Parts: sequence; C-alpha cells; structure tokens
Amino acid sequence: MTPDAMSLALFVPLFGAIAAFVLPRAASVIGLVAVLATCSAVAWLAREVMAEGSMTVALGGWAPPLGIALRADGLSVAMLAMTGAVGLLVSLGALDALRDARQRQYFWPLWLLLLTGMNGVYLSTDIFNLYVMIEVIALAAVGLTVLSGTRAAVQAGLEYMYASILGALLFLLGVGFVYLEAGRLDFAGLIAAEPSAGLSAALALMVVGLLLKTALFPLHFWLPAAHANATAPASALLSGLVVKAALYIFLRLTTYMPLPDEIVITLIGALGAGAVLWGGVQALRAERLKMLVAWSTVVQIGLIFIAFARAGQVGLSESWKAAALLILAHGVAKAGMFLAAGRIRTEVGHDIIADLDRSAIRPTLAQFTFALAAISLIGLPPSLGFIGKWSLMEGAMAAGYWHWVVVTMIGTLMSVAYFSRVFAGFLRFDRMKGELAEHKGWAIADVAPLTLAFAAITLGLMAAPILSFIELGYPFGAVP
Amino acid sequence: MPADLSPHLIYGPTGIAVFIIGLVGALCAQDRLRRVLALKLCSVGAGFLLITAAWREPPAAPDPVPHALVITGIVVMISATAVALALIRRLKSLEAEADTPQDTPEASHDA
Amino acid sequence: MSDPLAIFDLLLAVAIVALALATLSVRDLFAAIVLFVVFGLLSALAWVRLSAPDVALAEAAIGTGVTGALLLKTLHHLRHVTGTPERAAMRGMTPGAPVPMPVIWANAAFCGLIALGLAVAFLGAPAAGPGFDALVAEAMPRSGVEHPVTAVLLNFRAYDTLMEVVVLLAAVIAVWQIERGLSEAPAPVLGEVFEGFARLTLPAIVVLGTYLLWKGAEAPGGAFQGGAVLAAVGLLLLLARLYVPQPSHRPLARWAFVLGTGAFAAVALLVTGGGRVAFEYPAEHAKTLILLIEGVVTISIAVTLAALFHGREPVAMAPGEAPAASRSGEARDAG
Repeated sequence: MTPDAMSLALFVPLFGAIAAFVLPRAASVIGLVAVLATCSAVAWLAREVMAEGSMTVALGGWAPPLGIALRADGLSVAMLAMTGAVGLLVSLGALDALRDARQRQYFWPLWLLLLTGMNGVYLSTDIFNLYVMIEVIALAAVGLTVLSGTRAAVQAGLEYMYASILGALLFLLGVGFVYLEAGRLDFAGLIAAEPSAGLSAALALMVVGLLLKTALFPLHFWLPAAHANATAPASALLSGLVVKAALYIFLRLTTYMPLPDEIVITLIGALGAGAVLWGGVQALRAERLKMLVAWSTVVQIGLIFIAFARAGQVGLSESWKAAALLILAHGVAKAGMFLAAGRIRTEVGHDIIADLDRSAIRPTLAQFTFALAAISLIGLPPSLGFIGKWSLMEGAMAAGYWHWVVVTMIGTLMSVAYFSRVFAGFLRFDRMKGELAEHKGWAIADVAPLTLAFAAITLGLMAAPILSFIELGYPFGAVP
Repeated sequence: MPADLSPHLIYGPTGIAVFIIGLVGALCAQDRLRRVLALKLCSVGAGFLLITAAWREPPAAPDPVPHALVITGIVVMISATAVALALIRRLKSLEAEADTPQDTPEASHDA
Repeated sequence: MSDPLAIFDLLLAVAIVALALATLSVRDLFAAIVLFVVFGLLSALAWVRLSAPDVALAEAAIGTGVTGALLLKTLHHLRHVTGTPERAAMRGMTPGAPVPMPVIWANAAFCGLIALGLAVAFLGAPAAGPGFDALVAEAMPRSGVEHPVTAVLLNFRAYDTLMEVVVLLAAVIAVWQIERGLSEAPAPVLGEVFEGFARLTLPAIVVLGTYLLWKGAEAPGGAFQGGAVLAAVGLLLLLARLYVPQPSHRPLARWAFVLGTGAFAAVALLVTGGGRVAFEYPAEHAKTLILLIEGVVTISIAVTLAALFHGREPVAMAPGEAPAASRSGEARDAG
C-alpha cells in the first residue's frame, strides 16, 4: 500500500470520521490525530507541488473523461493548507468549547466528514464529483449548525438545508446541460467545448447554485442566522471554511467556462457591492456579537466578488489572485474572530453588544484576539486582509473602474464603524456599577483564536511568497 | 434526428418543466414539508434531463454514465431529504415545547 | 418513430407534469404525498421507457418508496405533536406570514422565463450528442463486470460512489444528532399513515424488488436498489414493531453504518502500490473486489436507510420523560 499524497488528504479524514463515529468515547483523540495527519498529508503534497508545479492522479487508472482525476496546483494546495491549519486550530478550540459529551461525540465525525468534503472539492477536476462533494459538505455543515440544539439553531439549520439542497440541484441541472452539450464532465472538457446556448445555460445554473451556497447578496438570507446560532467552533468552521468551497468552485468554473459578457461580470460585482453595503448596515444594527460577526461574513463574501470583478473581463487573469488572497485572509481571520466571540460569550455569559460595557468580567485576551482579527477584516496594514483589499483596489484603479474603489472604501469605513461598536464595549468601564472582577480570560482556550488572529496579520508580511505559491501550476491556464 | 416526436423531444422538456415547477414551489411554498416535496421534484427534473440526454435511438444502447450519475443523485437526495425532514420534526417538537404552558426555561446552551 | 409509442410518451409526460403541479397545489398534505408517490412511480416508468431500468429501479425504491415513507412518517409526527390531526396540521404548519400572491406570480413568471430559456437551450443542443458510449464500450472488458452501469458505478467512477456512501453516512450521523432526545410519537402505526404507505408503496417495491433480483441474476448490479429493497424489509419490521431499536444496539448500528464506507475506502486504498493508484483494482481481482464492495455497501445502505426512517438514535429514556430533561442522562450514557 503506497498511496499518493492527494488520496491521503482525502482518506485520512474519512477514516478518522469513521473511527470517531464508531468509538464515540475516544472521538476527541481520534479527531485531533486525524486532523493532524491530514495536515501532514497536505504538507507532503505542498512539498511535491512546489517541486513539480502541479500533480494529477487518475483515480482507478481511468483517465478522464471516463474516470475522475485528482489534481493539485498552487491554488488547491493553498486552500487545502488554509483548511487544514484553520481546522487544526479550531479543533484545539473545540476541545475546550464543547463541554457536553454529546456535542463532542457528534462534532468530531461531522467535522471530519466536512474536512473530507472540502479536501475533495479542492482536489476535484470533475463537475459531477463536485456536486457530490458539495453535498457531503452541506450535510456535515448542517449537522454542525444544529449542534447546540436550540430552537433558533434548528430553525436556521433548516433554512440552510433548503438553500443548500436548492443550490446543489441547480448545480446538478447545470451538470446535465454540460453533458448534453459537451458529452463529458471533466475540466479539460469544459475548456475544449465550443461556446453554445446550452453551455451558457449550464454555466448560469451552476453559478446561481454556487452563489446560493456561498451566500452572495441577495442569496445570503440563510447565512447570518445559521452562522450566529451555531456553537462557536462550528461557527468558525462554517464561516471560515465552508463558504469558501463554493467560492473556490466558482473561481475554477469561471476560468474554464469564461463568463460570456462584461455585463455579467459587472452584475456579479454589483451583487458584491450590494452585499458590502447591506451587510454593513445589518452589522451596524446587530444586537448580538455573533450576529455582527456573521453579517461581516456577508460583507467579506461581497468583497471577494468585487475583487473577482474588479477589472472586468480583460482583468480576470489577474483578478482571481486578489479574490484568492481575500478568501485566505477571511478564512483565517473569521475563524479566529468567531472563536474569540465564543470565548467572550462563555466568559461574560451573554453576547449582547450594548451590554458588554456593563460586564464586570472582561476576558481581555479574547477581546484582544477579537480586535486583532478585526484588523485583518477591516483591512489595515500589514494584515493579509490589507494585502487582499489593496490588490483589489490597485487592479480596479489600473483598469479605471473607480466605482469598485469607492464601494470598497465605503465598506471599509462601515466595517470600522461596526467593529468600533464592539471595541467601545470592551474599553468603556464608566457604565460599570461595582467592582471589576478578575480577568478570567487567560485560559488555554484562548490559544487557538489568538494564533489564528496573529496569523491573519503576520501572513500579510508573507504575501509575496503566498502569491507566487498560488500561481504554481498555472491554475488558470493549462490543465492536464 | 427525425422531425417527429422522439422521446428526446418529449421527455427533455418534461424534465425542465418538472424542475421549474419544483423551483417555484421551493421559492413560494409556505409549508415546510411541501418545500421538501418541491425540492424532490427538482431532483427528478434534473434526473429526467440526464436520462434523456443519455438516450440513444434504438437499437443503440444508452450511455451508461449518466445513468450512474442519476443513481448517485438519487441516493444523495434521499440523504438530504432525510436530514431536512429530521430538522422539520425536531423544530416542530421544540416549537410545541415552547408553546406549552408548563414551559421550563430553556437550558442554557453555548450558542 | 412509431405513432402509438409517441402517443404513450406524450400522455405519460402530460401526466407527470400534471402530477407535479398537483403535488404542490393540493391543499391536503397527505394527498400531496400520495400524489408525489404516484408522480415518482410514473417518472420511473418514463425512465424505463428511456432504456434506463437501473435508474428507474433506484428512483422507485429509494426516490419514491423510502422518500414517501419518510414523508408520511414526518407528517404523522407533525400531526401528533400539534395535537390537531385535522386542518391545522394538514395545511400551513409553518408559522409566519404567507407569501403574498403578487410575489408568487412574479416568481412563477420569472421561473417561466428560465424554463423557456432552458427549453431553448435544450432544443438547440445536439440530440443524442457526444457521450461516453465509445469510451465505456472500449473499457468494459477491463472493468471486471458485464453490466455497464455497474462498471461505471463501481469502477470507472468508483470515487463518486464512495463519496455518495459518505453522504449517506453524514446523513445518518446528522439525523441522530438532530433528533437526540426526541420523544417518539406513540404511533397508531397501522393507521391511515401506514395504510396509505402500504397501499401505494409496498406493492410497487415488492414488484420492483422481484424484478431487481431477476435482473441481478444476469448481471451483477444494483447495490443501491438491493439495499433499498432490504431497507423496505427493515421499514416493515420497524412499523410493525417486530424490531424496536434498543440503546444497546447502538454500537452494532454504528458499525453497520460505516461498514460500506469503511470497506470501500479500505479496498480503494489497499490496492495502491506497484504503480497502481487508489481505486485501481488489479485486473485479476477486479471482479471479486467489486462484488465484495457491492455486498458490504448493500448491507450498509439497507441499514442506513432503515435508520434514516427510524430517525432518532435509540437512547435510554424513561417513559414520559421530557426530551429536554433527558439530555444530561444521555450525556451520561453516551457511547
């Protein structure tokens, strides 16, 4: 038995999920080991990709289009690495955050299945396989959403489930049209296919399905409640990682099947702008901390789509890099922020923003973590979020598309405003009646969110190597 | 293709029609159970499209790959349906619990 | 094309579309589910007409049979919980504002436009266009099986099939998780619900199951259909209370759920080496391995489908204990 690194990145979390499910008492240990082993497989894969540019394995020895091939290039490995690293830290956070034996027992198998699904998406080169993978992700993610068992969580989970199924079915119908036109389902087939009405219909269906799954305004209706009502580690996984899978598929698809028209790209950018503005307003109005963080995810997804559209059709060959940087930055920072918000809630006992300054307990480390993560989400230097936003605006300015710059600036100001609401609650002490209690925040549980938030900032200093890494294997040029 | 009505011409549009009926239902239905039914219609519609596309004028055998894809799709759909229905049952129970007069304050969960 | 067949096709297509419309527009939910089951069976018939008997079987057994049973079970639960078996439960069980008529019409018009666009795209596409026909025919001798659909499912695209079983596993874990501590509706199991289910679904499943076994004799195939037929047996056992899941059965159930996924993935991984990649069965063992995988996957699918129907994880719960109060107890005996 000598499997390759890509197969290992898929099978290790799968076997971990199976083991964690049949041995519930040891679920935490099995889960941590499995996530660690997955990270090692990804590291091995990263080394190979750095040496060779890109790697392909035709599963079963059947070359596409008959079989399904796995392919890894710079972008896939960057997504895999982000998923593995964030997942590992969230797993550490979950050790402390999930105190209920029952929650732990279900968290680990579901999370490992989610990891299997996400790794599968990042390695896939076949659109029907992608459909199956997004369903693996959807079911595991819904299971994680309702882990807390509260009525609000179950309600949000149901809405999420409806949106997920509909998104996947739209994607499936699109797959049907691709088969009808091209007679094959692999990426190379998409590139080779002649443009036609059927392929445009297929692309439209698949893109709408993906936008629903990734919650781009105005298809975001299911996201805030689902992400805000889950338990903290689940929120971190859902917001930091899960929505990125559909985004990644969108980036791949629109490269292999170019969007037919400048107008469509502008429309997608406009939806992104709508997300930035509407999400910003909602974040300003949010009463609960986790709801604010969830709306900020809506904003950030909008921003990623603006980055995609920043320079129109001619700029697409560069714009995807800005989008990819923002995806990575958001994944790391948002996971840290949700874990920090969960810590604040646990320590203070509630997460009503207006009452944070009345609390005698100030979990300082968690608050500091929250602020660090906010720096990256607002896009202040030297964070990775800053590099992503800068790259967005630079491209837009170069192309003369000033409207995207204006929207991004407005969004940035709004994010300063809504995060300041939270900081004010952290820093004001005058509304406190009575003594300030001991700082209880210095717990081992703060390590994971703090590491994530620090990483979101320091990765900005490594932007150049990251950029050259995601270009490995010319993800958006040649295909096997 | 011959100009007269082939199964291809009949069942392809049937699948699209069924998908769209399901889509309207999924967007408009108030009832939770009926939204599941609507989504299930969508999946059958998508299956119709793939199977019609795989059909070949006899005596040629149909393309087996789309058939396999639809079987996979059916199993995926029952999984999603089962989860959606479990959520519906759970939600109804929680709502009924909250509505009863001897309602105990909900245990605090780490949400 | 012969005319009589075309007329049959047209009538069937009209009936299918009409049933789809009726499923969504009839007020009574029980009637809607019954209409859906008829819709599913007619769709399966159309797929037989389109030379896709394997898919028709899967759709009739799983897409229609098991789905119908799940829907009826859920309807029963909702009526039981609401305590109003009549109008309230039959109609809107969802609280919240009704969707205004103009919105519905706008949606319908919008979707109509989409339908038109898709129809144009469909008719513009090459009929019987390019496909995998030649590739499959060429690779069949090396697949280890004789039935093309089986070859695609368990060899050419085995990776998809593994992930499909993973989806099923994720579903059963999620359902156990969602329904923990949910008290069962003390069901009049042989009431209206069961009768409706039995009258419509079971004969169909039995007939199709017989066909499946006959089909299985001439070509290996149908893990999913076979699993669904076995699951139907499980459903009957559960409904008739011949088998009541006990907390002590949980470890066994867990193993049964993961058996298919685990064995499939283990085989896929163990065959690697010596230049072979994952899922690349050695030619001389391909047939044996595929039959082995089919066997265990069938068992897992049957058990999982039956468990999805049963719903909640069997946990120790004193009779009459409120679901919320039982949580700490479950946490204690978890495992």
